[in-house]
Amino acid sequence: MAKKKATRKAPAARAKKRAAAKVDNSLSPHGGKLVNRVIEDREKARKLASKAKIELPIRDQHAREIVSMAYGFFSPLDGFMKEADVANICKKMTLASGYVWSIPIVFDLSDEEIKSMGIKEGDTLLLKYQNQPFATLDVEEIYSFDKKLMAVSVYGTDEEKHPGVKRTYQYKDKFLGGRITLINPPRINPPFDKFWYPPAQSREKFKELGWKRAVAHQTRNVPHTGHEWLMKGAWFEAQSDVNPDECGVLVNCVVGEKRKGDYIDEAIVLSHAALGENNYFKQGTHMVSILLWDMRYAGPKEAVFHAIVRKNMGCTHHMFGRDHAGVGDYYAKYAAHEIFSKIPNLGIKSVLTLEWWYCPTCGEVTYEGLCGHKPQKFSGSVLRSILLDGVKPTRLVMRPEVFDTVMMAADKYGFGNPFVDDKYLAQRNEVMTVPPMEV
Amino acid sequence: MAETFPIYIWINEERLAKLQQAGLADKAVEAFAGLKRLEVHANEAQKDELLKRFPGSKCDLSTTRSIELLPRAFKDKLFAKVLEMRRLDPEVVDAALKNA
Repeated sequence: MAKKKATRKAPAARAKKRAAAKVDNSLSPHGGKLVNRVIEDREKARKLASKAKIELPIRDQHAREIVSMAYGFFSPLDGFMKEADVANICKKMTLASGYVWSIPIVFDLSDEEIKSMGIKEGDTLLLKYQNQPFATLDVEEIYSFDKKLMAVSVYGTDEEKHPGVKRTYQYKDKFLGGRITLINPPRINPPFDKFWYPPAQSREKFKELGWKRAVAHQTRNVPHTGHEWLMKGAWFEAQSDVNPDECGVLVNCVVGEKRKGDYIDEAIVLSHAALGENNYFKQGTHMVSILLWDMRYAGPKEAVFHAIVRKNMGCTHHMFGRDHAGVGDYYAKYAAHEIFSKIPNLGIKSVLTLEWWYCPTCGEVTYEGLCGHKPQKFSGSVLRSILLDGVKPTRLVMRPEVFDTVMMAADKYGFGNPFVDDKYLAQRNEVMTVPPMEV
Repeated sequence: MAETFPIYIWINEERLAKLQQAGLADKAVEAFAGLKRLEVHANEAQKDELLKRFPGSKCDLSTTRSIELLPRAFKDKLFAKVLEMRRLDPEVVDAALKNA
């Protein structure tokens, strides 16, 4: 981070600092207003694109983040972060405006690229994705930032084997901060299209369903019965002060960069939908949706980010179980439970749950806090190992319809494999397609 | 006693037939109301070696402390070694690692 000369704070800066200290983090959406940076009008979009003199192809991560920002998932963000935002996140987990925010959303570029393309502050860039005009970026600031500081502040470690730290170290040496506009909205492809609910739509859908309470379930996994009971337990808590029909579970599947051995995205969304379709959740109490996001595995910090995103989608509650968004042993088992007591009220209630496990004495999946017998623990990884060994799990740990859906998705989308492999990475169907656009 | 980390070999019909043939069917324990598995134990050094050799695998530290997501091919080798050596301790993991 560039050191700045110490000066007496100007009155405007002091006023900004006072305002930042007073922001209301409980507002829903976060910051009080749902961001919308999507231009649907093609003529208007073309006009905006033609003003940009520099074209820049972007990678998948940035494309997903642009879509998520433009549709308001990341409200109040309306663009890539400037230095003051990143510095505040590192120092106190807030944006420069004072609103709680835990993960930097940055647009990196190398010094050479900036020089060779002649990019300077004040420019508008035309960002291209899948060889098509996609979005514009108003370059308000070009800055550098200490990547080690960013990594340690967000992830609590500087070890490159942590995937979030690795991603941070891979950022190029400069960052461009400024507002984005999505000028060519992508088409969300099947089977994801029916699960695409940007915040304005998810809020509408909740109204249509009559939900006064919506409890979010974050996932990047096929559901086993432990997940199902986590959702049901969270539903019990969220439903306690309303009628049963006024409360629902929003499953929000993270769709982003995949690693070999992960479940394929199609298996995740379709198997979650299978739980509702087969009435393990009553019609109208269960809804599946997607979030375009590359997991950072930031544990508690990512839990805060998830809470903000789901609040923006209209959720009133968010479920946090064991090892939420963690990786390896970097975070305590229940670190995501503790962090919410240390930050201002985010206006979304955390439903904190322990483990569900299989108890052979009870003969059922039961709760750590209640069952006093010797359990047989299981997890998403154990279930994946069972499938990898070519064995069909029992219905007590995985619903047969979920298993069948996973296998169907493997045949239809995964080249016969429910898990990500080289072929899937190279040949999978795109989640989104940017339509052709002449500028 | 030093901690060991289980590797679960889940038993399908083919593996069950082989276990029965070798007279080792009683080594398989029941799990999750109807599944059967062998529990082979790796020591700390073997756990580290397995995670290094198979980057997609993991030790499920937050739940079962078992070594998960090992490739099917390695599990098959490990299973073959169990049949051959008739044991479930780190010796059998060593033998499978030598052949992997």
